[in-house]
Amino acid sequence: MMHCTMEDLGALRAGEASVWARRHITTCAQCQAELELLYQRVAQLKALPALRPPRDRWPVVKAALRAERSRRRRSWGAWTGSLALAATIAAVLLMRPTKTNTAYAELSQAKQQSATLEDSLKQVDTDGRVLSGHAAAAVADLEDRISVLDGTLAQQAESAQDAELVKLWQERVGLMRELVNVHVTRARYVGL
Amino acid sequence: MTVALAVPDVIVARAQAGDEAALETLYRAFETPVYNLVRRILRRPEDAEDVLQETFLEVVRSIKQYRGEGYLWGWIRRIATTKALMRIRRESVRETESMDEEPGKPGMHVGANLDLERAMERLSETSRAVVWLHDVEGFTHEEIAEQMGKTVSFSKSQLARAHARLRRMLDEGAHT
Repeated sequence: MMHCTMEDLGALRAGEASVWARRHITTCAQCQAELELLYQRVAQLKALPALRPPRDRWPVVKAALRAERSRRRRSWGAWTGSLALAATIAAVLLMRPTKTNTAYAELSQAKQQSATLEDSLKQVDTDGRVLSGHAAAAVADLEDRISVLDGTLAQQAESAQDAELVKLWQERVGLMRELVNVHVTRARYVGL
Repeated sequence: MTVALAVPDVIVARAQAGDEAALETLYRAFETPVYNLVRRILRRPEDAEDVLQETFLEVVRSIKQYRGEGYLWGWIRRIATTKALMRIRRESVRETESMDEEPGKPGMHVGANLDLERAMERLSETSRAVVWLHDVEGFTHEEIAEQMGKTVSFSKSQLARAHARLRRMLDEGAHT
């Protein structure tokens, strides 16, 4: 007499068995017992105790995370350094008499404000502070938006009209001010 | 082992914002389920530890990309499974169908009083992976095939073969 293979039993368990297997299992005690054993084995597998990691790997993960963040900040710093250079070049270009005096003044003022805020940010030890979830989310959002804006500024430094550049730089000043405020407010709050 | 973990949304949001304490909370919540999963698949404990670490490195790097679709455990489990299976593929040279081929290994000779856990240890890593993912974690054969880069038939036949072997080993163990 032909009996169910393990494939047949698995298919019966999954409700995908052939007509023959479905009929056979109703009359064959041996195959019924095998199917029952299969169910029991699976139940026993699910009931096996959880194996716990022998060592705590979080310190390694945390160290790697911090190293990556530090690398990102350094590259961001280098990027803002390039921007400062670009700003200097732009300032020289702005000295050209083809530009309007109002635009020079506004652009120079925005860049000066942006540089001052960069300095203020450096005074705050942003790496060593513990931020609340809300503050950390705000900082991450502001840093992302500044990064995007810097990319736009780098692309448009040569081609944009003065009025557009002024608007972008003023936007950057606004974001930088918010970023500094988040860090300074947090420092006051925790008394650091 | 059934995992029914729910992490508050606020912790996930803080982790996505890069908050280290929240990331550690996630690690503490999922380190055992992840280790258990990969240890059940991989034969060597040190490999399972490495995959645990790789999994959480990926989690902390990519948590921003988790959009809340499905359970967080499902998302983390997928990362862990992928990494464990990658390790099997990478080191397939040591993949053997049975540890019977390792002479002199204490406690591994046929006829030992095997329980299910020890019988599982004697399966190849591929078979262990299929059994564990299908029978315990609830993956479908389609999902296993996709993760392993194999066919659905491969997954089904591996499962059947693995159960036939388990059945034999447990039967032999019961009669010695």
